Amino acid sequence: MLELRNVNLSFEKKRILNDLNMKFDDGKRYVVLGNNGTGKSTIANLIMGVEKYKPQRGSVYLNGKNITSLGVYERSKLGITVAFQESVRFEGITTFNYLTLGGKIKASYSDAKRALELAGLNSEYLKRRVDDSLSGGERKRIELASVLMLKMRYVILDEPDSGIDMMSLDTISRIIDTLNSKGTTVITITHREEIAKNSDYAYLICSGTVLKEGPPTDIAAYYKKMCDRCDHPNEIIESVKELEHRKGVRA
Amino acid sequence: MRIAPDYSKEFEKIVEAYEKSGGESSKLLDKRVASIIISGDKIIGLNSVEGVEIESGKIENGVWARVKVMKGKKVEMPIHLCTGFLGKEGEQRVNFNFIVEEGASVKFISHCSFPWSTHLVHKMLSTVHIGKNATMIYEDAHFHSESGGVTLISDTHATIENGGFYRNSFDLTKTRVGKLKVKVNVDLKENATSELNSKIRGRKDDDISIVESLGLNGERSHGIAKSTVIATDKTRARIINEAFGNAPYSRGHIECTEITKGNGVDVSTLPVLKVTNDLSELTHEASIGRVNSKQLNTLMAKGMTEEEATEFIIKGLLS
Repeated sequence: MLELRNVNLSFEKKRILNDLNMKFDDGKRYVVLGNNGTGKSTIANLIMGVEKYKPQRGSVYLNGKNITSLGVYERSKLGITVAFQESVRFEGITTFNYLTLGGKIKASYSDAKRALELAGLNSEYLKRRVDDSLSGGERKRIELASVLMLKMRYVILDEPDSGIDMMSLDTISRIIDTLNSKGTTVITITHREEIAKNSDYAYLICSGTVLKEGPPTDIAAYYKKMCDRCDHPNEIIESVKELEHRKGVRA
Repeated sequence: MRIAPDYSKEFEKIVEAYEKSGGESSKLLDKRVASIIISGDKIIGLNSVEGVEIESGKIENGVWARVKVMKGKKVEMPIHLCTGFLGKEGEQRVNFNFIVEEGASVKFISHCSFPWSTHLVHKMLSTVHIGKNATMIYEDAHFHSESGGVTLISDTHATIENGGFYRNSFDLTKTRVGKLKVKVNVDLKENATSELNSKIRGRKDDDISIVESLGLNGERSHGIAKSTVIATDKTRARIINEAFGNAPYSRGHIECTEITKGNGVDVSTLPVLKVTNDLSELTHEASIGRVNSKQLNTLMAKGMTEEEATEFIIKGLLS
């Protein structure tokens, strides 16, 4: 189990994560819902151990072991990976080379082709370079294919739908299910409630904390109703009660 | 290809050096392939094909060669230029004059290999004239010794007539550089296009200096000059990319990427853009610094160490 306990993170006095508590059981599909700017991507970076995202307070645990001090590579060796929101360019590197990490992953051409097809691209892309000749959406699909090539225990998909058209929500669901069918815990971070349908458990994030959690359909419906138009982008809301009071919703 | 009996042993060594630099030695003996083989201060092998005229001779400490591709001739197989120096010390001078006549097209594959030299100065002077609607591609790969004792001074002046195309690629990534001073100056006429691309990897105390200059002098001429330098250890690198927009609708782009790795590096880049015609458009991109942290994190999240990820990114940049 992967766990965040009382995590607090600030950048230059601006509080980004605020006493955040989350648990991710093995072999389950999770969705982390929230509007832009609520701290969702920060959670992905923090779980992965990216240098700038070390919490000032609180810890990250993996199967009861505190891994807060570990870096990105060490955490990947423990089976944690992220498909980051921004799919960066890799000049001169072909898609096949990227998917196999230059031969570090022992995989055949057909393995790479299969992963790419699951992500919605044909095998022609294997020869193409992961540079600015590809659109952001194409690079995003390659990134999603790359996590399919890895054998990780925990995969975080940070806004997998960003830069990809609506029709591709099926593709994202297929990727989540393929990963999950091999026992991988999939944590999908998104601001689109449609993705929540394909998960076992949902968290709603607001102002860097868990505002509500539970069955995905309930959380998605609540998110759609309450957060469709965020009226407090720069104000901290710490409880459901506070949010509902602002919105004039009667208990 | 005929090799004079006196030079057969030397040819074998040159072939060995040529193969070290990635050259295909079988091409040097293929009669269908035009080629020039230079060892030290002499030409030890020369082959021409129909439509290609090659003249050559000696100069002090070196050779000269004039390669002319006749009007309208499309040379099917690349012309191979193999330049080697077998000794440890000395000076080698090579003067090339390339003429690609109107409507002709040709590709050169050049390998310069000095794997055993500890104190060598290699000076190359090239003049290039590309006729109307003609095409010339020149790929130049260097293989120097690991002693760092090779000094390469290269000066190229190219004129591209209306509608002509010139691509010049320079690669010195497999071995140490030593000292490098490369200058490329291109004069583009109407509708002419040029692409300059340099890739260099410096190690230890290598010293790199590149000046690439695009003179966009003809209407609708286009040019791009791109340099990628990986500077490690105590490498010193000075890169100047210039573009001069002197004609209407001419467009130029210059780009320099310098990746640093090591506390002792000393690198700089200077983009120079000058427009004398307000319908010309010039752009530039330049970056100096360590490998991008987002790229590193992406790869490390997949199980690569920082060292592996850095090398992977660098190999991509130099490929």
